[in-house]
Amino acid sequence: MKLFLSRFVLAMIAAVFTWLLVASATPAKTTILAPDKFIVASTTDVKGKTSPCG
Amino acid sequence: MVLVDAGGFFPEDDLHEDVAWFLMDAMKLLGTDAAGIGDRDLRFGYARLRDHAKQDQLQLVSANLVLKKTQQPAFEPYIIKKVGNVNVGIFGLISDKADLGPARDTLAAQDPAVTAKRVVAELKKKGATVIVLLSQLGKVETEDLVTAVEGMDVAVAGRGVPLVQKGRQINQTAVVYGGEQGQYLGRTIVTLDATHHAKSTDSDMFILGPDVGEKKEVSSLVQAFEDKFNEKLRVAEKEQAAKQQATAVQNDPDHFLGDEVCGRCHKDEQAQWKTTAHAHAWKTLVDKKKDATPDCIPCHVLGYNKSGGFLNATQSPKLVNVQCESCHGMGTGHDAYSEKAARVTEQTCVTCHTSANSPTFDFAIYEPHVVHHFAGKMPTLPPKPANSSMGGR
Repeated sequence: MKLFLSRFVLAMIAAVFTWLLVASATPAKTTILAPDKFIVASTTDVKGKTSPCG
Repeated sequence: MVLVDAGGFFPEDDLHEDVAWFLMDAMKLLGTDAAGIGDRDLRFGYARLRDHAKQDQLQLVSANLVLKKTQQPAFEPYIIKKVGNVNVGIFGLISDKADLGPARDTLAAQDPAVTAKRVVAELKKKGATVIVLLSQLGKVETEDLVTAVEGMDVAVAGRGVPLVQKGRQINQTAVVYGGEQGQYLGRTIVTLDATHHAKSTDSDMFILGPDVGEKKEVSSLVQAFEDKFNEKLRVAEKEQAAKQQATAVQNDPDHFLGDEVCGRCHKDEQAQWKTTAHAHAWKTLVDKKKDATPDCIPCHVLGYNKSGGFLNATQSPKLVNVQCESCHGMGTGHDAYSEKAARVTEQTCVTCHTSANSPTFDFAIYEPHVVHHFAGKMPTLPPKPANSSMGGR
């Protein structure tokens, strides 16, 4: 099923955003500008929520 | 970077089963590296969870969830993922006090601390330089565990854990707390030493507010799923309603009446109410196609599932919206001869304006926007956050 969750999407975008904060943008995937940093992005207890009610 | 979920992603009721599988699909598509397993996630049985994860190729981990017969792991106990120069060991734990629901005859949860000691040693032996625990043990048990067991760098604490903005350092483990219902993202920055082991950690929770933004094409896919699911619920609801003997409820001496009856005497109040957001609460659900979602309906109608209250939009169309009796109580309990005005307190509001649904709710600011005969300076409502269901501008 080719579907996403908006909040998970937000989570993912935020995760990427935080990564960018540390490493900044780079065109080469193998280039790590902050080799001494590593990020764990986490969610928990999503409880079947997809988006706000209205 | 790794993206992990500590588990507890399934909904609380069987009606939302479609959402459960959708969530798993979504996690995979979003690139989740590993997800823990909570007792909630076993609500549709072990085999279905295992098979759906396999189909999705979503990596579930639980080190202490074992098959009762063989005592062998029911899922992968852990993974080791290579990210740059870092070998990240990720393992999950479930509470051994949890009710495993329909999986209770098949599965058992072993002692978390004993398991954690063994798994941490194994992960280190296999070259993991950073170790992450996905915990479904709750706050206290997670803290006890990382106090007793050394070697974990990050513990994502789930299962009824309150939101704590800043992670806590317990021994050498950064514990990340809470952030349920997809509204928050935990970020732990691990600073590495020359051997790629964790030197220090810094954890924060981020609310996924409007500043984070949203990918249009992806939110469209979510909307498509929700629309389809809402329609399915709507059909099921109508079928169920047709079978119900609604008249038995309507004839209860204590029941809701609806704003039309109240408005016969309270004309000014009714006219003022019609200008408020409460009078349009149902439309917000219809617009978002959530008008058949049981989680959402109660705060957008009058007396959902209560005597004489809202059944569905077909059978009780006059009971949509947040009406007079939502705040003032059942009309049949109304004392027409009372000399005291029926003043509504904050307690009434927060039954719906919870921190999850309405994070910017402030009684002093919101009340003037709905109260009858307000004479002061109207306070400005705060902007409505993207993850808020109600209130705000």
